Amino acid sequence: MNANECTSETLGDYVLVRLRGEVDLSWSQQVRRAILDALADTGKVGVELSEVSYIDSSGIAALVEGFQNARSRNRKFGLVAVSAAVMAVLQLARLDRVFPIFADLDAARSA
Amino acid sequence: MNAARPVAADSRDAARAGGRRALGFLADLSQSLAVSLDLKTTLGPALARILDFMHAEGASLFLLDPATHLLECKICAGPVDIVGLKLEVGQGVVGRAVAENAPQRSDDARRDTRVNTRVDAETGFVTRAILCVPLATAQGALGALEIINRRDGGAFDDDDAEILRLIAAPMALAINNARLALEVAEQQRIRREMTLARSIQKSLLPRRRRGRFPLIGVNLPAHEISGDFYDYFDLADGRLAFFIGDISGKGLDAAFLMVRVASLLRWSGNAAPAPAAWLREVNIELCKTLQNGRFVCAVVGIYDHRTRAAIIANAGFPPALLDHGGRFEELPADGPPLGILADAGYAERTIDLGSAALYLFSDGATDVREGVRARLGAEGLRELIRRYAALAPEPRLRALIGELKRRRLVDDTTLLLLQEPRGSEVRELLALRFPAAPGEMRRVRAELRTALDAEDVSPELRDRLVLVVDEACTNIMRHAYCGGESGTIALRMTRERDVLDFELRDEAPCVDPQRIRPRDLSECRAGGLGVAFIDATMDAWHVEGVPGGRGNRLLMRKHIPAKTGGDP
Repeated sequence: MNANECTSETLGDYVLVRLRGEVDLSWSQQVRRAILDALADTGKVGVELSEVSYIDSSGIAALVEGFQNARSRNRKFGLVAVSAAVMAVLQLARLDRVFPIFADLDAARSA
Repeated sequence: MNAARPVAADSRDAARAGGRRALGFLADLSQSLAVSLDLKTTLGPALARILDFMHAEGASLFLLDPATHLLECKICAGPVDIVGLKLEVGQGVVGRAVAENAPQRSDDARRDTRVNTRVDAETGFVTRAILCVPLATAQGALGALEIINRRDGGAFDDDDAEILRLIAAPMALAINNARLALEVAEQQRIRREMTLARSIQKSLLPRRRRGRFPLIGVNLPAHEISGDFYDYFDLADGRLAFFIGDISGKGLDAAFLMVRVASLLRWSGNAAPAPAAWLREVNIELCKTLQNGRFVCAVVGIYDHRTRAAIIANAGFPPALLDHGGRFEELPADGPPLGILADAGYAERTIDLGSAALYLFSDGATDVREGVRARLGAEGLRELIRRYAALAPEPRLRALIGELKRRRLVDDTTLLLLQEPRGSEVRELLALRFPAAPGEMRRVRAELRTALDAEDVSPELRDRLVLVVDEACTNIMRHAYCGGESGTIALRMTRERDVLDFELRDEAPCVDPQRIRPRDLSECRAGGLGVAFIDATMDAWHVEGVPGGRGNRLLMRKHIPAKTGGDP
C-alpha cells in the first residue's frame, strides 16, 4: 500500500503538487496548505493524483478551496492524471466538470 | 428671627429622629418578614410590633379571598379578637381601602357612616379613630392593614398614614411571595401526579415483543397523558388480536376514558369475535355510558400469521395505510366512531398482508405541524414512510417517530405497524471499536474493504460504501466529538439476504438529527459533502440519540444489486 506523501515541484512558472496514498481527514489539512502555498508562489498550479488510491470529502474540500482561490486571483489551477478512485469521488460530488482535468503534465503545462 | 431659628432646628431634629426611627423599624420588619414563607409564623409577630410602633390599641390584617371575593380578618392584635370576620369589598373602612386601593382615615369613628359598628356593639369596645391602608401590589390590593385608636386618645395624622403605607409595602410583598411559592408547590404536586398518571398509562400499553413478532406500536402523548391507546394479545387459536384508538377531546377525562375503553376492547376481543361484531359489541356498551358528546375512533383487527391474512374493521379512525413496497393503498373507515349510534353497523375487510406493511395511525400523526401552520397531512406521512421504508420495522418506526417529534405535536399520536418480519438470518460481517481519531480510518477502511470483498460486492459499490462509512466516522469525530472530546466509535456491518446494514455508535453528547441534512450536490462548495455522499449512496439512513442524552446511533441500509447488475 502507498505511503501518504505530498511534494511540491517547481517547473519554471508551474508548480506541481504531487499527492500519493490515501487522502483523508488525518492529513488533508497538510494537502490544503501545500496547495494554497503553491498558489501563493506562482500563477499556475496543478495537483497530480495518479497515485492516490482514496480521497474523502476533506481531501475534495482542499481541492475545491484551491480551485476557488485560484479563480478569485485569476490564476490557473488544474488536476493532473486523476486516478480512477479519485474520479469516482469527483463524479459523486458532481465536481468532475468543475475542475480543469488534464491527462498528463505536458497537457496541463501547455494549457 | 434669631429666637425662631432654634425652634425650627429643634423640630427638624425631631422630624429627623422620627424618620430614622421609622426607617429602622421598617428595615427590621422587612427582615423579619423575609425569614420564612410561612405567613402564620411571620405576620402575627409583625402585627404585634406594628401595634406598638404606631402606639395603637388594635391592629388587624384582612386578606381578600380571590374565590369568594370577601375580605377576611386573618390576624389581629389588641383587646378584641376579630379573626374570621368577613367583609365585602367596598364595605366599611377596610372594604373601601381595598375597593379604592387608597388609605382611609376616620378621626371620629363614632360619627363616621363608613365605620361598621357591629363589632363595637357586640364587644363593648369603643372605636374612636381608624387608619387603614391597602396591601397594594401591581395586580391590585391583596387586602388591608388597619390600626385602631391611638393610645394617647388623639386621631391618627398624615405622618401616621404615611408610615403605615410604608409598613404595608413589605407585608404585601411577603404575602405575595408566599402565595407564589404555594402556587409553585401546587403546580409541582400536579406535575408529579401527572407523571405518575403517565407511567400508569404507559404500563397499560403492551410490552414490545422481541423476536419474530409482526406488531409494533408507539404512543406519543402531546402532553403528559394521552387519550390514544393500542393493544395486542394472543388469542386461544394462535391468532393475534390488536386494536388502536383515539378518544375525542384531550386532557384528563379523555385519559380516564381511554383506560376504560381499552379494557372494554380487550375484554370483548378475548372471545375472538369477528372484527365487525367486536366493534358492534363495544359500540353498544359505549353508547350506554359515554357522555358529554364523547366518542371513540378505533380500528380492531385479527391477524393470522400462518396465512398472513389480517381482518380489520374501522370505526371512524383515519384510513389504514397499506404499503406494498412503495405503492400505497388507503383503507377507509367501515362505520362511524364508537359511542354515537347504538345500532351502527360495521363492515370488515380482509387484507392479504404478504410482505406489505399495514400502518394504523391516530390523526395526531398527520396533524403535526410543519413550521407555523401547515399540517403534515396524509401525503406528508406517506412521504416519511417512503423515506424510511428500507429500514427494518423497529428502526423505521423509531425514525418516523423522530421525524414527527422534530415537528410540532398538537395532539396525542399513536402508530401501530403490522408487518411480517423478514424470514432469513442476519450475519455479522464486521464489528470494530476504535478511537474516534482520523488516524484510525486507514485501518478501518482496509478492514471494511476486506469484509465487502468477501461478500462479492462489486468494486465500485465497495469503494462507495467504504467512502460513506469513512465520511460517517469523520463526521462523528468532527461534529459529535467536537472540541477535542475523546471517545470511541463502534462499527457493525451485518447482512440479511441482499441487504447490508451499517450501524455506527458513539458516546458523544446527543446531536440534533435535524442538523444533519444532505445538501444539494449541484452547488460547488467544500462543506457538507459527507452527508450528501451518504444520502446519495444509501437506500435509507437515520440518526438517533441513545436515550439518556449520551451517545448517538447512525443506521444505514444498502440493498446490494444481484451480481449481474454491478451498477452501484
